Amino acid sequence: MPEALPTPIHALRGLAVFAESPSEEHTDIADALGLTTVPTPAEYSDLFLFQLYPYASVYLGPEGMMGGLARERIAGFWNAVGLTPPPEPDHLAALLGLYASLTERASDTDPDQAAESALAGQAARALLDEHLAPWVFGWLNRMEELASGTYAAWAVLLRELLSGELRRSPVADSGEVGSHARAKARPDDDEAGAVLQHLRDAPPLPDPRTDGTSDFIAGLLAPVRCGMVLTRADLAGMARMLDLGLRAGERRYALEHLLAQDAGPTLKALALEARRQGDAHRQRVSWLGESAMYMMRRTEIAATLCDELSMDGLS
Amino acid sequence: MTIDELNRRVSAARDEVEARGETFYPGASRVHLAAFPPRERWNDWVELDSKSWPKRVEKRYMLVPTTCFNCESACGLLAYVDRDTLQVRKFEGNPEHPGSRGRNCAKGPATINQITDPDRILYPLRRAGARGEGKWEQVSWDDALDDIAARIRACLEEERHEQVMYHVGRPGEDGYTTRMLAAWGVDGHNSHTNVCSSGARSGYHWWMGMDRPSPDHANAKVILLVSSHLETGHYFNPHAQRIIEGKKNGAKLIVLDTRLSNTATHADHWLSPYPGSEPAIFLAVANWMIQERRYDREFVRRWWNWQEYMEVVQGEPDASFERFEEVLSEFYSTYTFDFAAAESGIDVDALRQIAEEISNAGTCLASYNWRSAGSGNLGGWQVARTMTLLSALLGALATEGGTFPNSWNKFTPKPPRLPHQHPTRWNDVLWPDEYPLALMEMSFLMPHLMKDQDAFVDVYFTRVYNPVWTNPDGFSWIEMLTDESRIGQHIAMTPTWNETAYFADYVLPMGHSSERHDLTSYEQYDGQWIGFRQPVLRAARERLGEEIADTRDVNPGEVWEENEFWIELTWRIDPDGSLGIRQFFESVKNPGEKMTVDEYYGWIFENSVPGLPDAAAAEGITPLEYMRRFGAFEVAQKVGQVHEQQVPDVELDDVRVDEAGRVFTHAPVPPSPKAPGGTKIDPDEDGRRRVGVRVDGEILKGWPTPTGKLEFWSRTLHEWGWPELATPTYVKSHVHRQNLDSDQMPLITTFRVPVQIHTRSANSKWLDEIAHTNPLWIHPTDASRLGIDKTGDLVRVETEIGYFVLKAWITEGIRPGVAACSHHMGRWKPEGHEGQRIGMMTVALDQQGSDWGLTRKKGGGAFESSDPDTLRVWWTDVGVHQNLTHPVHPDPISGMHCWHQAVRIYPARPGDAFGDVSVDTAKSRAVYEKWLEMTRAASIHSPDGMRRPWWMLRPVRPERAAYALPESEPVGA
Repeated sequence: MPEALPTPIHALRGLAVFAESPSEEHTDIADALGLTTVPTPAEYSDLFLFQLYPYASVYLGPEGMMGGLARERIAGFWNAVGLTPPPEPDHLAALLGLYASLTERASDTDPDQAAESALAGQAARALLDEHLAPWVFGWLNRMEELASGTYAAWAVLLRELLSGELRRSPVADSGEVGSHARAKARPDDDEAGAVLQHLRDAPPLPDPRTDGTSDFIAGLLAPVRCGMVLTRADLAGMARMLDLGLRAGERRYALEHLLAQDAGPTLKALALEARRQGDAHRQRVSWLGESAMYMMRRTEIAATLCDELSMDGLS
Repeated sequence: MTIDELNRRVSAARDEVEARGETFYPGASRVHLAAFPPRERWNDWVELDSKSWPKRVEKRYMLVPTTCFNCESACGLLAYVDRDTLQVRKFEGNPEHPGSRGRNCAKGPATINQITDPDRILYPLRRAGARGEGKWEQVSWDDALDDIAARIRACLEEERHEQVMYHVGRPGEDGYTTRMLAAWGVDGHNSHTNVCSSGARSGYHWWMGMDRPSPDHANAKVILLVSSHLETGHYFNPHAQRIIEGKKNGAKLIVLDTRLSNTATHADHWLSPYPGSEPAIFLAVANWMIQERRYDREFVRRWWNWQEYMEVVQGEPDASFERFEEVLSEFYSTYTFDFAAAESGIDVDALRQIAEEISNAGTCLASYNWRSAGSGNLGGWQVARTMTLLSALLGALATEGGTFPNSWNKFTPKPPRLPHQHPTRWNDVLWPDEYPLALMEMSFLMPHLMKDQDAFVDVYFTRVYNPVWTNPDGFSWIEMLTDESRIGQHIAMTPTWNETAYFADYVLPMGHSSERHDLTSYEQYDGQWIGFRQPVLRAARERLGEEIADTRDVNPGEVWEENEFWIELTWRIDPDGSLGIRQFFESVKNPGEKMTVDEYYGWIFENSVPGLPDAAAAEGITPLEYMRRFGAFEVAQKVGQVHEQQVPDVELDDVRVDEAGRVFTHAPVPPSPKAPGGTKIDPDEDGRRRVGVRVDGEILKGWPTPTGKLEFWSRTLHEWGWPELATPTYVKSHVHRQNLDSDQMPLITTFRVPVQIHTRSANSKWLDEIAHTNPLWIHPTDASRLGIDKTGDLVRVETEIGYFVLKAWITEGIRPGVAACSHHMGRWKPEGHEGQRIGMMTVALDQQGSDWGLTRKKGGGAFESSDPDTLRVWWTDVGVHQNLTHPVHPDPISGMHCWHQAVRIYPARPGDAFGDVSVDTAKSRAVYEKWLEMTRAASIHSPDGMRRPWWMLRPVRPERAAYALPESEPVGA
């Protein structure tokens, strides 16, 4: 069996830089990465501040918001590897930087550091499996869809690099370290990927007929519950398609008013979007494994529910 | 291009950029496995300015160390001094500090709020109307110093030494002011300790002759806490980080706390006992360990004073150790798990489970009690005493993973010009006849003792202390402070307004942690360190080549530091040296000139801190420069079992060993760099000093107790009137079920809210935003029974002397049948007074004879100031001041105020408003007198004609002659 190539730490750190606000200092890195230009602040703001927030907690937390239990778990991971969590421990740049640091430590060949190196390797794999893989590929996919130019190319490179890591790096087998190989659905699990930390306890998408409309809308904006990432651009697209007014405000507010204006067509559009994103998850199942399966099933449930509601009506 | 090719390109680009000395990876992606600025770059540290975001503006800082002055931990801080403006921009942790290791709780960084507080006191103030009227005028330091010095000089010249008193809240320093009071010859040191930690400390003191524990949490197998260490407890941050280390290493955490504190949420075993029953639990565990022979017999045989116990109590002077074990087994046999379960309400199985855990820890049991139950209950000192019984059974004292005594993990260096004299006069107000065994001064009884003794204090300093708010029975304090026939002059030394300062004659602005010098050392692990608090702008400007002779030159307004203040005041008390006290504040190098703080600390660092001069020399700087540069120094690691160390031959001269194995010598005390202190053991009849104890034929250093052993049984307690409590035992609390009426329940008041620190943090906007109120914790079953419908409903809580009105918090986080309310919060200022706005409500005070009322007129909220953030204050509820409604409950032995209250709780009545407080001080007087009846006075029980056992710890120890009981009946008896 050929020896695995080391993690491309420098490319990874370089790509991580672009999850932060752009500056002139990024020029050298953009050149090295073959990215044509450094994005403009306006491009960054539109994508990272308004459409696709680069925080794991948004995609892994049951609230679909920054912070909360998901961020605490990730902060706990920083603590567990002996580091003080930075102010935003779940920011994509920080997570990629941490992954690079851990793989760097893991590549230490000093025999006296063998145990530490092995632990760092396991920790890196756990970071990838638990805190990055369940959301970042779907997120990069949406980035490719929404962005153009540098950020679209960047998303492709980062996807290739991380998927390469998933395929290439050794799978941890510690009982404490999550891994996709280990993350096969247990026989008694209803949902795939249920052993992954963030997905294990994620509540399902609430049914407005029993849980109320408010919780349902909140669930639609929580990717870990509905399987899809609904951006402002998606909502704007639905409004245009359905000839509805898009209320200016946060996504929840906008979605509430789309449903209030014309619930049936809006729900059908949501079902359509869920299936579309579900298809994207399905294509990743072969190499991403059970977390893609989990997300795919969540989109199926969401699509089915939205379809039902579009026929039953939403009170 | 493949990813690996890209990787090579980026790597090459990085090498090229970094070869130019430039940064390649900016921002969060540059994560490296290190967290602090390396110390070689502290002089010129570059960071991006957060406020300039998204622009990338670099700021250059000088990182200057100091220590936090909020709680007692003295954690290391690094002040980020802007090199352009020479202002402090922020505080972060100092990685060079051995105790805190770069980590801080919220209070450390919030120091920036305190130094920029728009309402802080910046100039000396003198009252311009009646005391307490709220009228002030700015006064010069010179005028204030002259006035105060003249009064003190008159007291000293007229032999009225007892009329000078220094009352301290947060000491934050080791030895400076006790040295000063010793120099003045004044027995006027008055601490807050009897409202704080005396209960637990007394329990430790009776065992070890040292009064604080130093648990080695990081190496423990079992950590046993009667406190809330992971959120607020004593030495919170340094201990909390080591508790977590211990847990990561597999230690089990056992927490006894009636509330579901944040600490309890981290426990492997959380026990929620009925308040005051903790000793019953520990004794049941001890009994089980004894019956099951799950203890270290060899340790007990070698180190307990069991022979003395067998001789005096059992009348068997020649008893074997095996015979003692029989007696011990019988002695504790009634403390069964069933008994403890009935007292505590904890299941027998849970008790048995923790007994197993504790006994399995062996010598790696780290146990700790600070306030909590030790401060809440009558007999609370037995919490620490019975807890230490477990450690002493396992031999888990001064072992790796065990619990050390504080003095072995603390280093207080000897200062220059150490006063040789001791006060000649005993202060009866602080050390009254009725409480001869109190660990510390009976400070909280002062209003009552002053009346009893018809006493007068001419010059009364409150220094970073706020008894009106902090102490129980605050209205009695106001009555005392406003009575000029009791208090001649009250000087409040405080960085910020407080409830006591309103009743002062002078308010003198003192510095926060970055504005003052102090030297500290605290027991936080098995090692010894010193930490240096310093005025950071002074240090920064000195690094830039300026000479700063007076810290006021760099502090805001005319804020001063105490070190320089006390030197100056002493010189004005004794300008010509005729009183004999100025000499202690004269330069060593240039006698006749004033000592400077540079010389004071420089002398200490050069002469009294082993290893520091070498470390400094290695850096090419002086010891003082080293401490100004790095802020802390570790003197020793792994101190280990001092009691097992052999006494060196040089100390064994003309040795005599008495029947109890105590070893006395004529050899002089060897020179030591440490400041003198600790217990005092009498010499033998030929004047030999006690040097150690003989154990199995070896002369070992032993423990600083009268026997040199761990005192399972205390001859002192036995002979001073308390034979029934001379061994670790169970005292039923004043809030024990049998002491309550059917409609009463215990109220727990001894806990902090996690980010606040008593009276000191109300001026921190960040901390206030996180925690600003103190609702009543009440269980749903109790709420239902009492007719309290929902969280937020107003309730009236009636104590023995009055009531307060606050909001209910219905929670399952409290044991049914018990209520709780944090003693933090409820800060106030009277109507018409200037002062602190953030964190304080405005109240109306109303007095009709002994009936007092406090009515909230305005809560917190937004206000306009120099800080735009004060317009963003969104909360108005700043809590209720419950301590006003607490009568004094002095434990007759430890002297600790027993904080828990027996209360009646009702839904608020018509007319009740949030924050209302009503008290009858005549009733508080009656409660004081009731508790006084429990005391056993020295004048009746002293076995040797002394006011207090000579060996016991005491700050500013008077000369031996002053200990003698007066021939006539003592004042106030």
